[in-house]
Amino acid sequence: MNIIVGFKIVPDDQMIKVVGDKLVTDAPLKVSTYDKNAIEEAIRLKEKFGGKVIGITVGNNDRKSIREALAMGIDEVIAVSVKNPDVYITAMAIAENVKSLNPDILIFSEMSTDSGTSALPAYVAELLGLPYISNVRSLKVEGNKVTADRGMVSYVETVEATLPLVISVGGEINTPRIPSVRQIMESAKKPVKEVKFEAQAKIAIKEIKPLIVNRKKIIIEENDVNKAVDKLIEYLKADGVI
Amino acid sequence: MKTVVFSENPVFLRMASAVAQSLGGEVIGISNNADVKVVNKLYVIDKLDEDGIVDLIASLSPDVIITGNVRRDRAIAGRIAGRLKLPIVTDVISFKLEGKKIVADRVAYSGMGVVTVEGELPIVITIANTQLQPKELQPSVEKVQLKEGRVKVVSRKSTSSGSNLSTAQIVVGVGRGIGSKENVKYAEELANALGGVVGGSRPVAAELNWVPEDRQIGLSGLRIRPKLYIALGISGQPQHIAGIRDSKIIVAVNTDKNAPILENADYLVVADAVAFCKAMLNKLGKQ
Repeated sequence: MNIIVGFKIVPDDQMIKVVGDKLVTDAPLKVSTYDKNAIEEAIRLKEKFGGKVIGITVGNNDRKSIREALAMGIDEVIAVSVKNPDVYITAMAIAENVKSLNPDILIFSEMSTDSGTSALPAYVAELLGLPYISNVRSLKVEGNKVTADRGMVSYVETVEATLPLVISVGGEINTPRIPSVRQIMESAKKPVKEVKFEAQAKIAIKEIKPLIVNRKKIIIEENDVNKAVDKLIEYLKADGVI
Repeated sequence: MKTVVFSENPVFLRMASAVAQSLGGEVIGISNNADVKVVNKLYVIDKLDEDGIVDLIASLSPDVIITGNVRRDRAIAGRIAGRLKLPIVTDVISFKLEGKKIVADRVAYSGMGVVTVEGELPIVITIANTQLQPKELQPSVEKVQLKEGRVKVVSRKSTSSGSNLSTAQIVVGVGRGIGSKENVKYAEELANALGGVVGGSRPVAAELNWVPEDRQIGLSGLRIRPKLYIALGISGQPQHIAGIRDSKIIVAVNTDKNAPILENADYLVVADAVAFCKAMLNKLGKQ
């Protein structure tokens, strides 16, 4: 099975800070949270059906994060560098680089932690003319037939389709593995193909601001929880919410 | 100007229509509900088949496509943008038209940032929220039978648990820090005593199923706006904060007074979540 998995290298969302009226996004880099679920699902398919998992990442090509993805079990990575990536360019870069690999399945996460558009996998599916199943929370492949449960928050939808196709997954689908030291060592030998992609972005970023809601940040700490609750109730009554 | 609006969710369809009306020109709605009275022309589709919906919208060659923000809306928005190779801006909280260009504010960085972006028409937008109200209109209605798509729906099972989190005035949110599924009953008792409802963080709702899945609060789940939100044992992941940001007052209960949720809380009670619930119930009972 030819499996493609997309992953994005992003600033760690736990480390992004609001400083004054600025959002400081130059935090340490990592593989975006649910992208690890996408990688895990890709590797599980390979373990079951054989074949190859090729990872593709567009934008930031931080070597340490790429190695982390390789250590999880990806066979090789295509690292595409682009200028000012938007959804359009990222999707074009992916479609362009994977078309000739004849993928049976392309797996993405349902949302990155930086731009979080949820639009990329759908965009790629259309560029490749493939069916798309979003928000997959469980996946079964038998021969050419795919059965998937989609988590749509207020309902779960079970769907069927045939390979080749594109899916996006959320955190519910699996628990990403933690690579062993040996796998981390071996990841250094795996191939990383660096390519460039150029196109004119369709979306321009003008400004990034923090979304600030001023909170009171009052800490109520008492040895006796009853005393703490008394204090809280007083505050909440003064605020007019109870 | 020709604007096409779609949402699986009636609330978002109204929001999208309000924004579309504000642009001027023709507003075309796509819905499986014939009772949509906020557009100039309504295509009533027989099923929510994504292939069919994307084909239909693409065939209309719109200047602007506006969808809601639920998961199906986002899947369709991304596909239309890809089909027509258009720019796409999701999670839009406000935007304006400047000639042939749209300037929009959108939520990014797991809800911590607002990014101002611009892109030229034709464009695809998903709406996170708007204060605009649509005008009532008498649309011309056309029924459309969509062809069978490549993805076949076998079954659809509601995860609905009856209470409406989106409109609740008081919400008690449960995180892993409450300890166990059994302990959730204390949160429920507290919510009952306050006249509120229980919701949960994504791990608790979607992965551990300690609370029903349709009560998942967060960037990719529900975004709530109660007057009082009580977060029990929730550390304060950006994903979760994005869902509670519009609450009037936020109370966090956590054993760790350095929990990141403090940054986004009005009050942080340093306590065990269950002990807190018991004490609150005790006090509320006595009043």
